[in-house]
Amino acid sequence: MKKRRSNAVMGMSFFTPALILMIVFLFVPMLLTVIYSFTDYFALSPDNTHFVGIENFKKIFKDELFTKSFWNTVGFVAIIVPLQGLGALGLAILVNKVAHFKKYFKVAFFIPVVMSLAVVSTLWMQIYSPEGIINTILGHLGIDAQPFIHSAKQALPSIAIMSVWQGVGYQMIIFLGGLQAINPALYEAAEMDHASAWQKFKDITLPELKPLCIFVFITITIGAFRMIVQPMVMTGGGPSNSTYTLVYDIYETGTVNWEIGLSSAMAVVFVVFVIILTIIQNVLTRDKEEKKK
Amino acid sequence: MKKKLICAMSAFSIATVCMTGCAKNIKPGEIDGYDEGEQYLNIWVHSIEETPEGEAYRDAVERFNKAYNGKYFADIEFIPRNDSGGGYSDKVNASVLSGNLPDVLTVDGPNIAAYAANGIIQPLAPLSDEERNEYLDSILEQGTYNDQLYALGAMESSVGLYYNKDIIAEAGIEIPDPDDPWTFTEFLEILEQLKLVMDSKNGYPLDMTFPVGEASIYYYAPFIWSNGGDFVSEDGLIVDKIFNSEKNAYTMSYFKGLVDKQYMSAVPIENLFESGRAAFKFDGAWEVNTIYQSYPDVNLGVAPYIVGDDWDGGNYTPTGSWTYAASSNTENIEGATELVKWMSGVESGLMLFEKTKSLPSTYKAYEQIDLFAKDENYKALYEQLRDYGHPRPKTPAYPQLSSMFQQSLENIALSGKDAEEQLDKAKERINDKLERYIRG
Repeated sequence: MKKRRSNAVMGMSFFTPALILMIVFLFVPMLLTVIYSFTDYFALSPDNTHFVGIENFKKIFKDELFTKSFWNTVGFVAIIVPLQGLGALGLAILVNKVAHFKKYFKVAFFIPVVMSLAVVSTLWMQIYSPEGIINTILGHLGIDAQPFIHSAKQALPSIAIMSVWQGVGYQMIIFLGGLQAINPALYEAAEMDHASAWQKFKDITLPELKPLCIFVFITITIGAFRMIVQPMVMTGGGPSNSTYTLVYDIYETGTVNWEIGLSSAMAVVFVVFVIILTIIQNVLTRDKEEKKK
Repeated sequence: MKKKLICAMSAFSIATVCMTGCAKNIKPGEIDGYDEGEQYLNIWVHSIEETPEGEAYRDAVERFNKAYNGKYFADIEFIPRNDSGGGYSDKVNASVLSGNLPDVLTVDGPNIAAYAANGIIQPLAPLSDEERNEYLDSILEQGTYNDQLYALGAMESSVGLYYNKDIIAEAGIEIPDPDDPWTFTEFLEILEQLKLVMDSKNGYPLDMTFPVGEASIYYYAPFIWSNGGDFVSEDGLIVDKIFNSEKNAYTMSYFKGLVDKQYMSAVPIENLFESGRAAFKFDGAWEVNTIYQSYPDVNLGVAPYIVGDDWDGGNYTPTGSWTYAASSNTENIEGATELVKWMSGVESGLMLFEKTKSLPSTYKAYEQIDLFAKDENYKALYEQLRDYGHPRPKTPAYPQLSSMFQQSLENIALSGKDAEEQLDKAKERINDKLERYIRG
């Protein structure tokens, strides 16, 4: 009994620093954000803060820019999630298949993940520039130079594709781990039955990877929703706000325009939205598993 | 058991160390140089200590402490800005809440109005006429809000309309006198003349962009002012019928004309001017040094900034930089004002110019630097600043105004949207942010 208690004390003492740090830097700020979202807290005159009820939320939903940044964010997610998820799976299968230089390919595809987003963004600004490498190649193919990040139409897809390139290596490694964990006996059995490559993929690889897929897609989705660094560095949210995202709007409102109250309300709306989306994803995937049973 | 106790204790102490902030209450003798009988003043600057700029600040404070030995002691703290411009301003915002602002802090020129309107900084103690007259008009103008002087800077800045002498000579164009600049209409004719020349060089007459961020309003506000328009009322609170005036709509359409007639590229092309493929470029004063150091082939000149067709000769060219101001927390406004004057004074300006090539803020400093007498380009930039410098719009909603100007410009000039409609929309958004100042 005594031993158990001292173990508990011991455990707590190791846990406490982390707990305190989490309270100070995570839980308290979260709580404050919710509280601030109902006030007109202005960073330059905190003494004049009043409770304003749901005024901020009304403002947000009337705000054209917020709506625009919401749809931009959805646009990013819609491009990034399928491309990055399927791209990672495809790369993983390819890398798994190659006989030589496997390590080289793994490292090569993973390098962008390790690089800082700001660096990657600056690099791609050069690649996308009017006289950059892509436009030079297009020129040789007889295609007119494209404006890419300098046009309201092309900026969002351009940044999304860059983000896929940057992030795909991480999910590829996860899938690769999954592929290598599949029991080779399953493939051997399939070969005995003369199954085609597609059948093997559809009936063995995919079902075996399913739990991983769910994890990968949820992490990509949440990552894509948090998009801010790439547009901040590459376009500043432009042209004509076409790459202005939710998190960017939250940041600008809170730090540049000093409106902490309004910005907190935006953050609350954002969090609620992401939670709803995660629940939907969970429900969808759970249903399928149950159906299988 | 004892071991476990030690473990628990150390875990706890780590936690406490992490938690404890450092509350400062400095007494004489605790810092080198701070002696009994001296008044303690602390000052925050927005720079990294180990940079030429930081060294110049450190040096200025050390000279202040020598000069005022026995009376004041200034203690400098470096709070760097991070990539996105936060860091320093986050710290200031947090200190506004906790009431820990220093006696003197640096404030970016366009933020003076917001800081003053929210009571973060207080007016400086009165300066004698002699002291005031040391500074360029643009510095005094920038530091004044509601007829009171809040801030003084050691640095000024300027934007030049640079031209490539070889190209201009090839096209047979004469650069006008600084007091008789090209008007909007004249400039269009010049550009038309240059169009053919530049087409043959695979370039454009103008190297010009409308970037997101502060640059757009900084570079192009002169077009608004010199055309008889403005951004905001004297008190900085009214934008209606000012920001969205007909004159401003006309000026915005003028930019659209530059894009439509392909006098400039609709998408930014890097180093267009530097590689000899553009005749003109708008850029900060730093461009002179860049050209001299990195593009010696470019034969650089500075032309007077363009003006509206009905320009009345008023001030209009870009200015503004970081300044020093006394926080409303300081109980020693006399001392804080002395420190502000010292930090923004002639010596500081000279030191900053030497280390960072930023333009000084006092007449005497310019007189003491050879470059401004001998080098025609630096001289032209100085004279433009001295004779025609105009601070950026003074309003507590400046960040919103600046980004709304850029967005309107982009939407009108590049996306071809209706000028009046865009300016009206922009005005509404700025109004939203001004509401808190009007009702209170």
